[in-house]
Amino acid sequence: MAKVPRNFRLLEELEKGEKGIGDGSISYGLEDGDDIMMLKWNGTIIGPGHSVHENRIYNLKIECGHDYPDAPPEVSFLSRVNLPFVNAANGKVERHKLPVLANWERKSTLETVLVDIRKEMAAPSNRKLPQPPEGSTY
Amino acid sequence: MALPKETQRLVADPAPGISAAPHDDNLRYFDVSITGPDGSPFQGGVFRLELYLPEEYPMSPPKVRFLTKIYHPNIDKLGRICLDILKDKWSPALQIRTVLLSIQALLSAPNPDDPLATDVAKHYKENEAAAKAVSREWTEKYAQ
Repeated sequence: MAKVPRNFRLLEELEKGEKGIGDGSISYGLEDGDDIMMLKWNGTIIGPGHSVHENRIYNLKIECGHDYPDAPPEVSFLSRVNLPFVNAANGKVERHKLPVLANWERKSTLETVLVDIRKEMAAPSNRKLPQPPEGSTY
Repeated sequence: MALPKETQRLVADPAPGISAAPHDDNLRYFDVSITGPDGSPFQGGVFRLELYLPEEYPMSPPKVRFLTKIYHPNIDKLGRICLDILKDKWSPALQIRTVLLSIQALLSAPNPDDPLATDVAKHYKENEAAAKAVSREWTEKYAQ
């Protein structure tokens, strides 16, 4: 079984992200277009409907280390948010509390991480949690 | 696992100015270096690249990119290369060696009419001498 090396895997993910994903409710791209090692990424999640997050735009930063995708990326919210798997002090997504990161598989991607976070935001236990003022940041 | 014949030949007898070595833990993944061709603004530089043979190879082309920064109209900021044989002109009869020779030739003969780095291509078209000077500067700065 061919194993796609980190850099070529991230180039594929970048190209997919540049074309735009699904209905645009999540997106991601390189923080700096010159970053040849593709370490730092930006992500955006549009808050899911029928939840307190509706119409809110959440910015995240994602770091893909040198052992990605064998190891999961580090994900942090830049926009303030109240969710059980996000550290309230600094916005860091706590790896062991989010299934896609806790049970990381090599086939998981930046897209699956953002899609799963958005799904969690809409989950019955999370969708009515009181939220910090819109637009506030860590 | 034995190295495929193509890899054995490539490692044992690379073309002048080209070297390629597979990673121990992934025989489809190669560290490549290409020296800048004489007479080009890349002369004197050693450029590092990475090459990967996807599952579909040789029905699909290898994936290749520069890891060394380079100021060239057909190579973008992330080292991606615009070269027809890596895309629609690929043929299973071509080999890794041919691909690397073509990339080396691209360094001697940039093609600003089919650009990937549009700002570099514009520079090459408007003032080739000045653009080449930047290419030489980058070669000295990044490719030593």
